[in-house]
Amino acid sequence: MPTEGQKKLLEELKNSLTRALPEGRITSGDYARTGYHLEVRLSDVGMRRTAMVMKDNRFYLETITAVDFPGSFELIYFYSTWHDDICRVIARIQILKDASPYTVSAIYPGAIWLEREIYDFFGIRFLDHPDLRRILNPDNADYFPLLKTFGKTKLTEEIDDILC
Amino acid sequence: MLNIKTIDDTTINERVYQLNLGPQHPSTHGVLHLLLKLDGEVVVAAEPIVGYSHRGHEKMAENRIWEQFLPNTSRIDYLSGLIYNQGYCMALEKLCGIEVPERAEYIRVITSELNRISSHLLGIMAFVMDIGAFTPFLYGFDDREHVLDLLERVTGSRLTYCYNRFGGVRNDIDQEFCDGTRRFIDRLRGRFKDYHNLITENIIFIKRTREVGIITEETALEFGVTGPSLRGSGVNYDVRKNEPYSVYPEFDFEIPVRKEGDVMARYQVRMAEMEQSMNIIEQALDNLPQGPVRSHVPRFIDPPAGDIYFAFESARGAVGYYIVSDGTRIPYRIKVRTPSFSNLFVLTRILPGNFIADAIATLGSIDVVVPEIDR
Repeated sequence: MPTEGQKKLLEELKNSLTRALPEGRITSGDYARTGYHLEVRLSDVGMRRTAMVMKDNRFYLETITAVDFPGSFELIYFYSTWHDDICRVIARIQILKDASPYTVSAIYPGAIWLEREIYDFFGIRFLDHPDLRRILNPDNADYFPLLKTFGKTKLTEEIDDILC
Repeated sequence: MLNIKTIDDTTINERVYQLNLGPQHPSTHGVLHLLLKLDGEVVVAAEPIVGYSHRGHEKMAENRIWEQFLPNTSRIDYLSGLIYNQGYCMALEKLCGIEVPERAEYIRVITSELNRISSHLLGIMAFVMDIGAFTPFLYGFDDREHVLDLLERVTGSRLTYCYNRFGGVRNDIDQEFCDGTRRFIDRLRGRFKDYHNLITENIIFIKRTREVGIITEETALEFGVTGPSLRGSGVNYDVRKNEPYSVYPEFDFEIPVRKEGDVMARYQVRMAEMEQSMNIIEQALDNLPQGPVRSHVPRFIDPPAGDIYFAFESARGAVGYYIVSDGTRIPYRIKVRTPSFSNLFVLTRILPGNFIADAIATLGSIDVVVPEIDR
């Protein structure tokens, strides 16, 4: 159960996020089940406005990741705080497969590497990124390993047959 | 911090030269490649180049069933493998709603904290060896050997453990392990006096580490620095306290914090953390409940469709598993947030303007594990 301090913090945060992102859908997450308190759903813009609100509230950017769903990517930004009443906020952004989202690296410099990693594994090109190169895969690689179309091995198919 | 005059752009090509530190260099702790631009002895720009030990753990996860990913977790950060092991099990237990017996939770905490001690011992000793002190390294590895012997007795392996299971741990601990752990704690407490004599009060060490490689609170926020590197900068943040998991709320322990933000502060935080880990282990051994160590879990688990973010504290900082399940026996996506990734990138901000010798000390004090960055 959230404590009084947590409730107050979440309410304030919800208000400032609603002011900054009138088009976004902001819902409370079930922390005990999912590990986050607030969830912001956006269509393909608004990640920079979210980042600015989070930085004003002294949140740090834990990580960014992407998930390859059929037909679209989902970019997920995880924000957390050093505050005692721990509060994790995630921002989900649905983008089309060929879309180029804006970088948040001007607000959080740590995002430079995080976004490079997403480009490296999913091929998502971030607009205005200062240094968009491969990071973990070889520089001359012509594949994006975490796409669902990459590397479906025979082994997986066998596991599918055995288990499913 | 050193004041250097800004380099005139017209002469930059003549004055600045590049130095490749690594990928095979004794002080880069694995295959880390640091590209330094130097003006004389002063670092002008630093760029870590990573990816040499990339194995694709996140892709591997999508090609095997949930249980088969368990051994992978301890290979991500090979120095605190048990903690990653525990985190993965706890994330899936939360997702599937699996109950864990209390004794198993206590055993997990004891083994994870032992693992944290061994990781800190290696981190500190390798770091002081980088800046020239060879003797403490031998003492530290002697102590670490005892931890590894204890863990080998329970888990069967010395480095890449796979001891946690969904719903508990693989096997129970015995009296000999408990007694051995208590003996080890007494021994390590006695050794701390030697360590403080050898390292903390060593004038060379002090001169090399005070006011060197300062990470400010603001930089830490911007780069997402966590773990001892953050607590050395005056921020009281530890996932074990801020977002309690397992049975940590039942123990009485402190989070060591230092204000200075320099290399010395990070070293002192790690030393103090080992003492706190010993306190936790002692309390856990005193209050170890009886009962089973593993609940009944089906051979294959079927998590419901959904996602979960589970955060925990490894020896290097806040780790997170983000797990997406589509309701099948194969993970849809597993993302691992590793602390060294963010902790290493901060070097691009703090190294410029410092001497190259200080760069070595700073790199060592951040205590990165390269396979954890590369995954």
